[in-house]
Order: sequence, then C-alpha cells, then structure tokens
Amino acid sequence: MANRRHASLTHWATTHRKTVFWGLGLLTLAFTALLPLIQIDTDPENMLPADNPDRVFHNQVQERFNMHDTLVVGMVHPEGIYQPRLLADLHSVTRYAEQLEGVITPDVMSLASVDNITQGEQNTLRFEWMMRTPPESAEQAQRIRTQVENLPLLYDTLVSTDGKAASVYIPIEDKNQSYALSRQIQRHIDTLDSEAEWHLTGLPVAEDRFGHEMFVQMGISAPLAGLMIFLLLWVFFRNIPFILSPMIVALATVLITMGALIGAGFTVHIMSSMIAIFLMPIAVVDSVHILSEFADRYRRGASAKAVVTEVMSHLFKPMLLTSITSAVGFFSLMLTPIPPVQVFGFFVGLGILLAFAITIVVIPTYLTSLNPQTLDRMVERLPEEGKTKLAGALIALGRGARVRARLWLLGFATVFALSVWGITQIQINDNPVRWFKADHELRVADRTLNDHFAGTYDAYLVFDSDTAPAQQAGSVLEEVLASGKLSEEHQQWLAGQRQQLAGERSLSDLVLALDDRLFDAAGQDVRVLEAVLEDLEQIQSRGQTFLQPDILAYLGRLETHLVDSGLVGKSNSLADVVKTVNRELRSGDAKDFQLPNSANGVSQTLLQYQSSHRPQDLWHFVTPDYRSSLIWLQLTSGDNQHMSAVVEAVERYVQSHPLPEELTLQWAGKSYLNVVWQSEMVEGMATSLLSAFVIVLVMMVLLFRSLWFGLISMLPLTLTITAIYGLIGWIGKDYDMPIAVLSALTLGLSIDFAIHFVERARATVRETGNWSETLDVMFREPARAIARNAVVIAVGFTPLLLAPLVPYITVGAFLASIMALSALVTLILLPVVMTLLRRPLFGLREANATPTSSAQQNRSTTL
Amino acid sequence: MKWLNLITAPALTLLALAAHGTEPMTDARAIVEEAEQVAFYSGEDGRTEARMLITDSQDRRQVRQFSLLRRTREDGRTQDMMVFFSRPADVRNTVFRVIKRVGTEDDRWLYLPGLDLVKRISAGDKRTSFVGSHFYYEDVSGRNTQLDNYELLETTERTYRLKGTPKAPDTVEFDHYIVTIDRETMLPVGTDYINARGETYRQMEVLKVETIEGYPTVLHSVMRDLESGGQTEMQFRNVAYDLGLPESVFSERSLRNPPTEWLD
Repeated sequence: MANRRHASLTHWATTHRKTVFWGLGLLTLAFTALLPLIQIDTDPENMLPADNPDRVFHNQVQERFNMHDTLVVGMVHPEGIYQPRLLADLHSVTRYAEQLEGVITPDVMSLASVDNITQGEQNTLRFEWMMRTPPESAEQAQRIRTQVENLPLLYDTLVSTDGKAASVYIPIEDKNQSYALSRQIQRHIDTLDSEAEWHLTGLPVAEDRFGHEMFVQMGISAPLAGLMIFLLLWVFFRNIPFILSPMIVALATVLITMGALIGAGFTVHIMSSMIAIFLMPIAVVDSVHILSEFADRYRRGASAKAVVTEVMSHLFKPMLLTSITSAVGFFSLMLTPIPPVQVFGFFVGLGILLAFAITIVVIPTYLTSLNPQTLDRMVERLPEEGKTKLAGALIALGRGARVRARLWLLGFATVFALSVWGITQIQINDNPVRWFKADHELRVADRTLNDHFAGTYDAYLVFDSDTAPAQQAGSVLEEVLASGKLSEEHQQWLAGQRQQLAGERSLSDLVLALDDRLFDAAGQDVRVLEAVLEDLEQIQSRGQTFLQPDILAYLGRLETHLVDSGLVGKSNSLADVVKTVNRELRSGDAKDFQLPNSANGVSQTLLQYQSSHRPQDLWHFVTPDYRSSLIWLQLTSGDNQHMSAVVEAVERYVQSHPLPEELTLQWAGKSYLNVVWQSEMVEGMATSLLSAFVIVLVMMVLLFRSLWFGLISMLPLTLTITAIYGLIGWIGKDYDMPIAVLSALTLGLSIDFAIHFVERARATVRETGNWSETLDVMFREPARAIARNAVVIAVGFTPLLLAPLVPYITVGAFLASIMALSALVTLILLPVVMTLLRRPLFGLREANATPTSSAQQNRSTTL
Repeated sequence: MKWLNLITAPALTLLALAAHGTEPMTDARAIVEEAEQVAFYSGEDGRTEARMLITDSQDRRQVRQFSLLRRTREDGRTQDMMVFFSRPADVRNTVFRVIKRVGTEDDRWLYLPGLDLVKRISAGDKRTSFVGSHFYYEDVSGRNTQLDNYELLETTERTYRLKGTPKAPDTVEFDHYIVTIDRETMLPVGTDYINARGETYRQMEVLKVETIEGYPTVLHSVMRDLESGGQTEMQFRNVAYDLGLPESVFSERSLRNPPTEWLD
C-alpha cells in the first residue's frame, strides 16, 4: 500500500519538476521572509512558563518591593579604593549613570548617592550625603571608610570588607536598554583614565551579551555545519552537482522551520537558536541514503528515473520510520515543563518530518533532472567502497564481535553497572553565568566581584502576614452599629463606611474619615465615635506586623543563623535598618545596635530613617502597610546547588524555630527561580525520556512484529545513554540544561542504527539461513552505511565546538561522541546479543548453512 | 437673576482691575522676597493642622497628621517651630522642635516617645524628605531665597514666572526650578524642579488658597515625584494667625509635655 502510494508520488514528482522546484523555492522564500521578525529572548526566567506560581510570585515581589533589573559596576584597586582620585572616579561614574535616560536615578546605589547616618558634635544625630562631592584629602577618604564600614546595610555591598573594591548599583527601567547603557557607562569609564580596574556586570548585561553570542553562533556555527557536511558529502561522492541536492534539502528545511518558528510568534531562546545546527545533519541523512544507493545502482546509460523509482521503493519505509522515531525523540521534549525546551523539541521534530517530506519529493526530482553525463562522471569517479580503510576496520570489528560474545557481554554489563553507579553520582547544577566561557569578561567580572564582596547573586526570603485588620475593623463597626448608641445621622454614615471598608477602602482611610467626622459630631456621638476611632487605631497598629519587635527579632535570628552557616555572604533586612537607626539615635555605640522594645519605638525609628535623602529605600524591605517584608540574601555564586543548600538551611531553621504564628514564608529572586526550573527540568526530562523510550519501543515491536527484536533494538541506545550519563557522573560534570536535553534526542537519533541493523540482519538471515554468513554480510555494506551516517551527524555537530557559549560546546561535544559511541555499540552489542540468542531469535543453529548468492546481497538495500 | 449679574459683573471687573491693574513688579529678587514673606512669615505667629497623604506609584498610602505652631522672632527672620504628630497612631506624640535660622544651619530637636528619647539633630542639608513624604524639610520650613539667583521669565495678567538657579549647585539635586507666583496674593502657587537632563522631575502645585484673617493661606497643595510616579498631598485646616503664642511653648519642655491648650 505504502509502496504504491510513494511510487506514484515519485512518479508525479519526477514528471512535474518545475512545479516541485518552484513550489519548494516559493515556500522557502515565503518562510525566509519571516526571519527578520526574529525576537531574541535571553531571560533565564523564561525557562519557566509565565504562569508558573514561583515565577508569578517572584514578579509580584519585584513589584511590591520596587525592585528592578540592575547593572553592577565594580571598581577594584589592589591598594585600596579609599584614595581621593579613585573615589573621584567612582563619583564621576555615579553622576554620569544617574543622568542617563533609562536609569532609575533615585535608586542608584553608590558611595556617591547614599546617605550617612552618624553621630555629630554634642551627641547629635546627623544625616548627610556619604560622598556628595569627592574627598579632597587622604584623611577625608579615610573618614568615608570609617563611616561606611559602620553601616551594615552598605558595608560589604557598596564597599568590600578588604577595602579594595567599591560598587555602583544602577537599576534600569528596561533591560533591553542594558546594552546601550552599559556601553555608555563603559565609554565614560574609559575617558576617566582611571588607575582602578573596572568591571561591568549584572544580569541584564549578561543576558544582553548572551543574545549577542547567540547571533554569533547562529551566524557562524550553522553555516559552518553546512560546510562541514558539504565537504563530507564531497568525500563520499566526489561530484558537486550530485551532492548539491542534500544541501538544498538542508537549507530549505532550516529556513522553513526557523521561519515557521519566528512567524508563529515564538522568541528565539538559547535552545531554539540551536535548531538550525540540529536540523542540518539530520536533514541530510535521508538524502545520503538515497544518493548512496543511487550511486550503487546507477550504471552508465541507465535511466535515472527508473533507478530512482527503484531506490525509493527500497528506502521509503525505513526512511519514514527513522524520521518518525527521530521526531518522536524530539517531540518527547514537549513533555518537559520548560517552554524553550518544548519549542525546541516541537520545531526540530517538525523539521525532521519536513526534511523527510522534502527529501522524498525533491531528491528524485533533482536526480532525474541532472544531466546524464554528470551522473556518468560521478559513477566513474566514485571510490571503490569495499577497499576503504573504514571498510577494513569494520570487517575487523565484525570478527571481534563474533568470537568472544560472552566476554563482550560481560564487558558491556560491567560498563552498564559502572555507568549506573556514575548516574547516582550526578550533580544537578546550573548557573546561567557559567554559560559564558571561563575567560569571558563577564565571568572575570563575576569572579572578581564575588571575591571581594559578600556576593552579587540575590535571593529573597519573603514573609507575609495573614492578619486581617480590615476584617477586625469591620466587626468593631458592626458592634457599634448594633448597639444603637449613635444618632440616626451617624448611624447611617457609619453603615456607609462599613460598606466601603468591605470594598477597596483601607482601614487607614476609614480612620481619617472618622477623624474628619469627629469635627462635625456632637454630644453622645463624639464619645462613641472617639471610642471607635481608638479601637480602630489599635487594630491598625497591631496589624502592622513588621513593626512588632518580636517579629523583627525572629528575622534577625534567622539572618544570623544563615550568615553563621557560611552559605550566605550577607543578609539585609528591615531588622538591620531599625537596629542601625536606633543605634545612631541613642549613642552610636555597638551596644545600642538592637531593636526598640515597642512597635511604636520601631515605627518612630523608621520615621527618622524616612527623613533621609532616600526615604524610598525603606520600601525595598517592607511594604507601606507593614504586612509584607523580606530578607535580602547575597550569595557569592549563582549555582543551583548553593541556592538549594540555602533553601534547605532555612527549612531546617524554621523546623526547629517555628515561624511566628501569623507569618508565611516564600522564596523569590532569580537564583531561586533557577533552582525551580532546574528541578522541574530534571523531573521533566525523566518523563520525556521514559515516554520517548516507551513510544519507540512500541514502534520497534510493531515494526519487527516481535517483542524480542523490539527489545534488542533498544539495547544499544540504552547502553549508550546510560554510559554517557554515567560518564558525566564519573567525571563530575554538572548535569545542566544542555546535558539534560541530550538524553531524549540521543534516543531519537541512535535508534536509527538499531533499526537498520536489525532489519538488515533479519533480511540477510532469511536469505542465507546462516548466522556466520549473515554477520559477514552485515559488516560489509550495512555496517558501512551505519558508520557513514554516524560520521555525517557527528561531524555536522562539531562546529558547535567553536561556539562562544558553553552550552553549545557541551551539546556539540556530547552529541558527536554519542553518535560515535552509539554506532559502535550498535555494531558490537547487537551482533553479540544476536549471536547468543540466535536460536530463539532466528531458530538457527551454527551448522545449517545454506548457499547464498552474492548477487542477492548486492541488491539488498543500503538501509 | 439678571439684576444680580448687572451688579456683580461690573463689580468683579473693578476688583480685577484693582488686583491686576497695578504696575507689575520687575525685580526678580523683590518678587521672591515678597513671596517668601507671604508664604512663611504671615502674622507674628500661627497654628495649623496638617495632613499629608503620601501615595506611591502603586497607590499605596501612608498618612502623617500633625499640628504645627510657628512664631517669628523680633529680627523678623528667625522662627521657632513645633511639630506635634498625631497620626499614624504609632508615631503619636512624636515632636519636632526647630529654630529656623536664615543663613546658617537650623537647630532641630526630636522627641520620640516610643524610645523615650530627646535627640538633637543636625543635618548636612535641608533637602531630605520630611518624614517620608515627597516634600523636603526645606519645602515645609522655607528655602532661603539667598541660596539662589533669580530671573524673571514672564509676567502674565495673573502670575510671575521666575527661574531660580542655585548658587552652589553641588548642594542640591536640581539644575534649576521655575516658580510661579500669584500676582494677587504673592503666594508661590507652583514650582517645577528641573534636572540636568532638562526634565521636570518634581513638581509642586497649590490646589487651594483661602484668605484667613487677612492672610492668603495655602490650604491644599501637592508635591509630585514625576520620576517615580508618587506624590504627597498636604492639606491644612484649623488655621489661625496672631494667637499670641508665648515663647515658652517653643521650648525643650514642650517636647515631652505638649502645650495642649494651643493645639485645639
């Protein structure tokens, strides 16, 4: 059935050449036209779906506490930064950044923009700018050091403990501007001719550079992959017009797929930027099959059309099957909960099916439209396949695989066992900054700044209070309304207030309204309303959870615990703000670095803090209703493992020191989000791998109509994947996003080898009826086809090794080695297992040899 | 109703002529000094109740409610001020005592009942937030006109528009400001603060003026932070002038023992 259908397809295609070429050309052009709409997405946050609860919460927290994406400028000098000239540079950079369009000026943090709270003469409390103008003398510079080191919120954040580094935090409105802004700042730094060493970093800068490197990768690696494949095909076929056809298929597939992705409105993320380089070699594989067999069968003067039709009748089914299995491997990535991985999986899967469709239509058409002389020249120059070094090596391999079957099996079992142990040792860890190479300026900046400071990675421990002051106030009003003590007029008015309170209105507004009303009230009403007002204000005060000293004390103890654990570089919270201001209000001495003993005391302390140049700083730590607050943790690394350890430390602390009753705790911050998507990915990858495994297994069982052959065909890839991940565990390479993605797609690609081997082995056994002879046959032409395909794909991925970003290199290196390993395992493990199981599998005994015709062999397909 | 119009229309015209028909002033400094007198030195002393509604860009509100007593000393320049907080409840009875001196630093004291503490404050400058609002301390106490150079930009029928440029740019965050002064009352009714980029980032606007006991008095004004999107509205009520406030009210003793008889 299928054969007849594709035969008519081939017939139609070869008789409608113009339609085929124009059709493909126009289709490619149409999708290529969509490419300029490209939207690069480098936000690691997008690893999580937009509605992921942790991500939603993180964004709410950002808004609630007025936090923005921030550029970080670091100034480092080995002899210390407290020198007038250096501080003048820092001052200059700060002022320059502050006046830039797109910078959130009031929130810029640096020595030149923060307040100093200190003791003035005669024990006065003094507020002033820390460094409104640069110091003129060494003494003044030293005075700044003494002062800033006395302010816990600034020390180790704006200046390092070793006195050798200072930083400027520059929040920006839109991270898409970060590149332009960082360039402007860099240019300004360059004009300073500063003696210090300067670093420019921060997540928005990293993301921006990342997007840039992605373009470089797509612009260089993908065309390079195309070139590599082209050269390889030339080595195989030595005829340029002949090998142009696979290149046309590859190019059209890549352009249409990318055009479809972009046109469908998807952003190009790190994963999807690799689609081109993935599709290129895979798209070529089917064409290579057709060309190989065509070259085998075509003889001078033959009808190209007849040969093509014959070739297609052999290859249609296996090509369809391998395309589907590969696509299944990639489609299975859609089961991970990581949107960029889903998009990647879907479009590569689609691309593979598209490549198959283009191949079966375009290649026959192309071959039949070639000049017969070209074909003749090609056949003449074709190297003698059986005499290549590869052929010799494969025959030797075949002999080896045959003689010591049990020993091989033992070896494989050992490798498997060791690999399983290796897998248990895998460290799941990722850090987007490490996606840059170790010598990248951002990595250098990251290392330098984290060496000097308490950490440039942020995590937020957010506390929410579940007190409901508005509700309590409501019941107070209900009570008064029920008592009937008020005059008709005020009874009505208060009922109206009660209703408004149930809506949007805050308790604070009610208090004001009541206060205003008291001006016009008289008699009994005044006393009643005054009592209500007093009750409401009490409720209001009690509802301000984060003014309560015992609550702040809990936050303080948790912070101390975390810092003592060594996991956290530094922590900052409302408790630190209150303690610092309280200390300066009292004596300025360390003994007064403590919390006031009443909520009113805390509130009045904060009223002083708010009387500074930067009152808005308070709202980074607590919301204006004092019912939500956070501890800002600074970590020296963005590794998931580090963050996870902190999360665990907090969990343990909360278990042994229960949270105050009305509080709930939740994490936010990019470092935490990374942990979330990492763990989702690990789980998701397991699901996707397992389901792809099951689907492919079912397909194999159906294809071979045998459970045993189905199972056997899964063996090589099982061993390969186990071995690769075991190796990752053994050598201690972190299991990160690119590594995780490899598993499912390895499965889709390496099953091809098994399909070819099993199918051909069965066919050969049917022909020869002899296992030993079957093996001889298998290690000639079929083994060569497998090896050749492995080489095409592996070599096709090697340009990734030249990519500027680590994940690409990882993918390139691992995929190339996976392809090589998987081909090798297929060629050894399958013959070994089949040799041992030949009786149940084929019903064969070694002795019963049947004569075979070599002509038959030669005609068999080059699957 | 027509007869009313017949009478009032000419009367209003006359009034308008009386107010605006006078020869406009041309000396920028004379204008701002007169405006300073009207805005901060009306009467020998005065009292007001103030309420600040501080709103941030997310419409989250804070309240400050306080009574303010003021008395000008014999030199006509130095002023005593007392600020008694009543809301929010947790800062109730917090008191500021200020001796505003022209040309030198003010003397400032603070009483915090929650800490049982009287503390003297010295500030590097006066452009710090007034208790967390968008008004600066200087907006509430009055910026010394000697600190800026003035240029009269425009005289309209109702207003003067002047440009103030700081003599010491390092001490302030603005590049210059444009103040609008009502010609009739001589009250500043709007100020735009402009930064080095040439953008107005901060804006004061007077929303309601009433003449109380013969003194034009601001009853409602707003300070907008155009960068962050927040603003503070300030409303006044119970305004009274020339109460004969005794000197003893403006003493350290009043910090812990508010002179309640003068506050209602």
